[in-house]
Amino acid sequence: MRKIISLMAALAFLSGVSTVRGQEPGLYTRWENFTASNGMPDDKVFSVAVDGENVWAGTENGLVLINHGRIQKIYRQEDGLANRVVTGIAIDKSTGDVWLATFGGLSRLSGGQFKNYTNLSSGLANDVVYGVAVQGEFVWAATTAGISRFNTRTGEWTIFSEKNAPMHEPWSYGIAVSEKKIYAAVWGGGVLEYDLASGLWKPYNDPDGEMEIVLFQNQGLIHDIVSSVAYNSDTKMMWASTYFGLSGYDGHSWHNYLSTDSGLASDFINATQSRGDEIWACTDKGLSTLNFKSNTWVTYRPVQEGSGGEVLITGVDKKVTRKATQTSLAHNYVLNLAFQGEDIWVATAKGLSHGIRETQKREGKKNEPNANSR
Amino acid sequence: MSAHSKGLLFKNGAILFWFVLIASIALALYTPAIKARPKEPADIPANGSGNYLTPVEAKFSRDGSRLYVVCEDDDSLLAVDLRTQKVVARVKVGHKPKDVAVSPDGKTAYVSNEWSDTVSEIDVSNFQVRRTLATGWGPIGVTTDRAGRILYVANSISNDVSVLDLATGVEQKRLASWRSPHNVVLSRDGRHVYVANLLGHLGLPNEAPVSELTVIDTGTQTVTRRIAVPGVLELRHIAEAPQAQGGYFLVPFMRPKNLNPLIQVTDGWILTHGILVVQPERSARAETRTTQVLLDDIDSYYAGTNGVAFTPDGRHALVTSSEADIVTLIDTARFNVRLKQMPADQLANRLDSAQTFVERRLSTGANPTSVVVAPDGQRAYVVNRLDDSLTVLDIPGARVQGKIELGGPKEASQLRRGERLFHAARFCFQGQFACITCHPDNHIDGVAWNLETPQLGRDRVANRTLRGVAETGPFKWNGRNPDLETQCGPRIAKFLFHSEGFNSVELADLVAFIKAIPLSPNRHLAADGQLSASQEHGKAIFFAKNCDTCHPPATHYTAKTSFDVGTANKYDTSGLLDVPQLDRIYERPPYLHSGEALSLEEIWTKFNASDKHGVTSNMSKEDLNDLVEFLKTL
Repeated sequence: MRKIISLMAALAFLSGVSTVRGQEPGLYTRWENFTASNGMPDDKVFSVAVDGENVWAGTENGLVLINHGRIQKIYRQEDGLANRVVTGIAIDKSTGDVWLATFGGLSRLSGGQFKNYTNLSSGLANDVVYGVAVQGEFVWAATTAGISRFNTRTGEWTIFSEKNAPMHEPWSYGIAVSEKKIYAAVWGGGVLEYDLASGLWKPYNDPDGEMEIVLFQNQGLIHDIVSSVAYNSDTKMMWASTYFGLSGYDGHSWHNYLSTDSGLASDFINATQSRGDEIWACTDKGLSTLNFKSNTWVTYRPVQEGSGGEVLITGVDKKVTRKATQTSLAHNYVLNLAFQGEDIWVATAKGLSHGIRETQKREGKKNEPNANSR
Repeated sequence: MSAHSKGLLFKNGAILFWFVLIASIALALYTPAIKARPKEPADIPANGSGNYLTPVEAKFSRDGSRLYVVCEDDDSLLAVDLRTQKVVARVKVGHKPKDVAVSPDGKTAYVSNEWSDTVSEIDVSNFQVRRTLATGWGPIGVTTDRAGRILYVANSISNDVSVLDLATGVEQKRLASWRSPHNVVLSRDGRHVYVANLLGHLGLPNEAPVSELTVIDTGTQTVTRRIAVPGVLELRHIAEAPQAQGGYFLVPFMRPKNLNPLIQVTDGWILTHGILVVQPERSARAETRTTQVLLDDIDSYYAGTNGVAFTPDGRHALVTSSEADIVTLIDTARFNVRLKQMPADQLANRLDSAQTFVERRLSTGANPTSVVVAPDGQRAYVVNRLDDSLTVLDIPGARVQGKIELGGPKEASQLRRGERLFHAARFCFQGQFACITCHPDNHIDGVAWNLETPQLGRDRVANRTLRGVAETGPFKWNGRNPDLETQCGPRIAKFLFHSEGFNSVELADLVAFIKAIPLSPNRHLAADGQLSASQEHGKAIFFAKNCDTCHPPATHYTAKTSFDVGTANKYDTSGLLDVPQLDRIYERPPYLHSGEALSLEEIWTKFNASDKHGVTSNMSKEDLNDLVEFLKTL
């Protein structure tokens, strides 16, 4: 019996994925892809968010609603969307409203109708909006001219920029919320933390200030060009993706990762997400995930167009195990990620990918709309 | 009377006395479980202050024996015993109560207080306020869910719906409605709450308005559908037909042809009035079908379509005209035939529809705003807002059976007479509209009107509020009416009503009423009057930019004259335009005389390219935001 348990533990270690939320561990070996060839309005998918059975995907040419594996609806500018380029999505779980960051302002989709907020018609700092998040009655938007906060009850707008917050550049890429704090990813400005109780900002910057090198691995934020930020409510950790590596902060210490000393596919990271012990990095060379407890990495990427994919498992000893898969991510340039139970939805430069864990037992066959699944 | 008969009477009286005494004791001993009923005075004076009651809405008690009547000028809820037709209880609530809902168990009434931003929870067993619950801004429509656990409140100023947990009394969330939500109704199956919005979507002035019915799923408490209703405004009430009669919803509406020159009133159809038929979707993906049916007659308009109700069997629907003082009894079988026979796109423009399904038009008291039908379907009660009374209708007999006086002064004061005139469509050609038609709630209808043809030198102009206008003259966007007497006198008769208009006494009454229209409470200003940092900074900008030159604080932020701020349009004869007052400016988009600026920001971001409306091109976005926040405090 003891041998069996040891064997199981070893297998779990090799897979690189420990038990997550009480589920069986497993790799994502089955992928369903949604591309322009099977109904998406565009191949380039910037953003993805999940609300129960609804999966929302923001593309370069509109917003897509997918439900139970089928594209239910495509919203375009002519339907009222502020702009065709949808860069960020946030769901207000309380009201069901969907907030959209676009290149033409902020859109609110409620009851099937859009209401738009632009720089000219409202207090939005700029119409180029990269990120959006909902925190209580407030909607936060990361724009190229700073961070805007909209009070949905009073209609009041507040702008945080270099004039009233510790950012030397107002260009903001992303927003993440926790119960007590707001985190902003600022291009060249590191991560800003806003304390909801005090109304004060606190900056986290790269202590060495170097663009190309990291002097000390866990000295602080790995780089000031931050592309996105995520908050893990399970571990209470904040994660920041940069174009020069991945950083995590637990309130006391920083945990930094580079592709040279970890299983991270690339240091060029477009976005990060985190839950449980998992940290995901959306890179230009595939999708990487770190199990924080076991310090094991798994990277998913297509091998070649139309010829399946590969899974690279990097253990604590840096030994890499490769596993071939028949299907794979739509593209190795990964832009965003969202969780749907044990499934993941991945926004890539050439389609939206639905990842399914190999150990999951599925009742019946899911809708299979994707003739081009790899 | 003979001695014999006197003795018999005494004897019989003694027997009766002892019988009653013994029977009372026996009854008291035998029925200890019967709950003590609250003391009900035979005739409670409804209003000790001598003010008018101004009843606006009514709902039945669960057993149908009482009617709870909301009185907005008396800040009270009345209980009317329908057997004795007397007011038997009264409780003071918040300021400007507008609607009442009764809990499913019948033990509690919830009254929305529009100007207090609260709901009064009333224990109907003793008619006392149990709790006061905070809501959004300007609560009007109110309903519970089927279980009585959740209260939905339509907030007319914050443009949303409060979802209150009745166990804790705490607001759980706000759901965005569209614009000035007024009425909420729980569907018969309990699955949805329908919200009627008084005003349409903010749109361009050269486009017809679009209104909205907002649909909330009571399971998820989220907005699941927004039913767009093109071309109409002022959705005030909702009633659902029984399934056997179609299961559709009826929503009274006003259709403004604001893109047509108003000078064509005598050609008809500048304003039409009717009911919207909303057929709910059968599946999540199906589209909701809406049909507009006019209630106007060919030579007489049904101005102020307002209250609506079905009889329990669905055979009749009742719709009030609050500007013609009429309630119409509709034969729903014939109405359904009309719906089937006539394509929806034609029905919207057919003035011959009403004659096919109207069973009877009955006179009511002044300004009938709502109607309710008794659970037995025999009687209906019309709430006469400016008459402090209820009209009792005998439905099987299709006749007025009587009237219940609620109290209040018997004599109409000048203000009361003026308010009645304000609501009376009879002064307009064929009763097409009244002052209130375009100034609902004494405010705005949110659209721009083509008061004259462009060829006559006046482009479309946005409607202006009447709240707090007493000292803001001159009037009209061109500032040519020095006082309200001029504004509301012969010029109105000639250019708008196309009839003889008001006589001198009526005009004096009407003007007195308009001058007395108050401002609503400011929701952006803290209770202690302290400005936030943003508002304070905006105030400094306001004065630094010399905004007070044209908008001096001492005179309601209007210099009471005209300036050219570069906003004249193609057909405007002059760029000189009256400076609007800024009191409660946040309540009344669209802005500028053309109604082109859909938000305060747009006044400067889109329509001030020449910097004539203040030098604002050098303002930062942060400064503009703060200026806007300050303006909202005025």
